[in-house]
Amino acid sequence: MEVDRELVEAAQAGDRWALEELVRRTHRSVYTCALRLVGNPDDAADVTQDVYLRVVRKLGGFRHEASFSTWLNRVTTNVAMSTLKRRTRRFAVEGAAVPADARDPAPEPAERAEAVALARRLERLVGELPEGQRQVLVLRDIYGQSTEEVANAMGLTPGAVKVRLFRARERLKADLEAAEGGQVVALAGRRRATGRRS
Amino acid sequence: MTNCHSVRPLLPARAEELTVFEARIRAEHVAACARCATESAAYSRLGQALAVMANLEVEPADGTLERVLVAIGRRRTGVTDPRVLAAAGSAGALVATVVVARAVRQRRQTRPPVRHLPLPRRLRLPNLPVPTPALARAK
Repeated sequence: MEVDRELVEAAQAGDRWALEELVRRTHRSVYTCALRLVGNPDDAADVTQDVYLRVVRKLGGFRHEASFSTWLNRVTTNVAMSTLKRRTRRFAVEGAAVPADARDPAPEPAERAEAVALARRLERLVGELPEGQRQVLVLRDIYGQSTEEVANAMGLTPGAVKVRLFRARERLKADLEAAEGGQVVALAGRRRATGRRS
Repeated sequence: MTNCHSVRPLLPARAEELTVFEARIRAEHVAACARCATESAAYSRLGQALAVMANLEVEPADGTLERVLVAIGRRRTGVTDPRVLAAAGSAGALVATVVVARAVRQRRQTRPPVRHLPLPRRLRLPNLPVPTPALARAK
């Protein structure tokens, strides 16, 4: 998700076209993050709408101290967590969080091609993790939030976040190996054997 | 060398999540244990793939973007409550009805008459004596 600073500033200044363009460029990313957190397409669409309503309200206060995408991810996280707290009904996770089609944002360097292919396969497995583990893993390992940020967003202690994270990684690796016959280990072993490029 | 059992909880962690002591223990053990080295490398590869997922996007259902644009358009006008929007819609319909009714009435009023009939000529009354009041007659 690439967003020009000029576009953000124009939207902040009240340019209606700029605001709509901002939404057009970022809504897939916001929806994807929301879907990974709430695990349900309908709720993800609701979260996406609420995120942009909050963005309209708070955009004037955005000071460009972090990148816009980082700020938007935080807003998405907060809105998704609020939605989950309000949610009373529970959703089955089977297949719900699996994206119909994951798109490459841009051509990837050759050395990342394997990681991209693996990431596509991981999408389903991440969606099948228990909700608490999935959310921690998504925020920490996919969106790179710190343990403290994850703890604040989820209302947990940093220690609880670490425990969930450990379990989520362990389970994800086991699920992936089970699904692909130990491919993660095999790939890693091959990489080690051929020597890792720095 | 520490045993595999004690190092195993450290293997999924990223380097920045470990203390200096833990990182040293893990590095020493992994350097000497092929099995844990393979495990550690697998977690590392998993971490790379998860980080890549941040750049993979899912296409939302049709209409999601339009729904967002409509919602923020309403927000910009300061009205988002559906009850307020319903009331505003009703008021708008009422105003429209009144405007249309007035227009129809005005059109009817300004419509030219079908036929211009000549005004009747004023009748001239003959000069008759003015009747004297009864009280004056008594005097």
